[in-house]
Amino acid sequence: MLTYTPGDSLAHRLDPRTKLLLQITFVAAAVAHTTPRGLAILTGLTALFLAAGRVSPQSALWEFRYALPLLAAGPLVSGLTFGAPWFVVNEAVETALASYRVVLALLVSAVYVRTTSPRESRTAIQRTVPGKPGQFLGMGVALVFRFLPVLQSDLARVREAMAARLGDERPVIERMQLVATAGLNRAFRRADTLALALQARCLAWNPTLPELRFSRLDAPAIVLSAVLAVSAVV
Amino acid sequence: MATSNDSVELVGDEAVVNLARAVLFAALMGAFAFVSFPNPLSPAPITLQVLGVFLAGIMLGPVWGPAAMLLYLVAGAVGAPVFAGGASGLGVLLAEPTLGYLWSYPVAAAAVGLGVHGGSLGDYRDTSVPVLVAAMVVGTVIIYALGIAGLMAVLGLGFVEAFTAGAAVFLPAEAFKIAAAVGIVRSDAIAAT
Repeated sequence: MLTYTPGDSLAHRLDPRTKLLLQITFVAAAVAHTTPRGLAILTGLTALFLAAGRVSPQSALWEFRYALPLLAAGPLVSGLTFGAPWFVVNEAVETALASYRVVLALLVSAVYVRTTSPRESRTAIQRTVPGKPGQFLGMGVALVFRFLPVLQSDLARVREAMAARLGDERPVIERMQLVATAGLNRAFRRADTLALALQARCLAWNPTLPELRFSRLDAPAIVLSAVLAVSAVV
Repeated sequence: MATSNDSVELVGDEAVVNLARAVLFAALMGAFAFVSFPNPLSPAPITLQVLGVFLAGIMLGPVWGPAAMLLYLVAGAVGAPVFAGGASGLGVLLAEPTLGYLWSYPVAAAAVGLGVHGGSLGDYRDTSVPVLVAAMVVGTVIIYALGIAGLMAVLGLGFVEAFTAGAAVFLPAEAFKIAAAVGIVRSDAIAAT
């Protein structure tokens, strides 16, 4: 699974805010220049990003395998028409370029996920989004990372127990109800315990944040995002 | 560590409980992405995510429901494996063809919450079945409208093409989810109010 892996690559050492900015400007540039020439340049840039994070393109693509059938089917669906000539090559090519643009954007965001710890992301959110919304998002994201595996194993246990009692032979609606009810009950119970624990620890809207500082390494990356942003507008 | 001289501003009791519920709901949405059921009516499997959106609106209300969905999206954007198939990353929200569905979740949860609770947050178990179903139908329409718009924008498809690729095989399953949500809400199985 695509998750954070500790390391000391160039991408690991960049500030998370820089990496977020790069992703946004990259997508903007890709949307503005969905031409063979524009995408060729962005492919080079993607290769550079992947190398900077020491992420192999194959493993990153594997993580997005669920998105790939739709991306592959897009050009076919787009090219097909009812009636002669049945297949319009131009439309298919246009959608194929759009699909390829999506693959590039996914690869670039894979570099972020692989090289940025949840803690860094949380700090970046809290330092970027002002006020209580920022605190809510930062705290919330950190806690979602904490509780996701717990709830996943809760649900897996529920489904195993159901299967052991032949519950998976029941109609679909009933099974969905059972799994969702069990999941919700566990989630609400955990939420109550979590709320109590947070109150006991004086949860504040203005906690002290871990430090985050732009370094000299960020300068070229920010210049690159500026170039991408300008290219998207011009 | 950074330093700060402001006095501590504690999060109020009610807000802490709501925050904890929003967090757990967002995590549950992520866990639901991994749960799929075979669909008797169409080849596409059913996941519980849209059910999660409905229940967020119904159980958390028109403010904290969308807040939970927003948390889910942000957590996925910075790397929690919560999107379909365990995907994550900002690229999914900014460039993937299915981005419309994801962005529609907070809107749909708000719509369902408003439909069920109106202005003030009451006990969702008092809501009548027609109101519940109507709210969820509106939610479904929002999800698919934005989802299809996303497909059209990202891949440059026409409406009919986008509908064929993105809605036709999934829509029948929504009826199951609405039925399941009504069953869950009307039963006494959920302990929390």
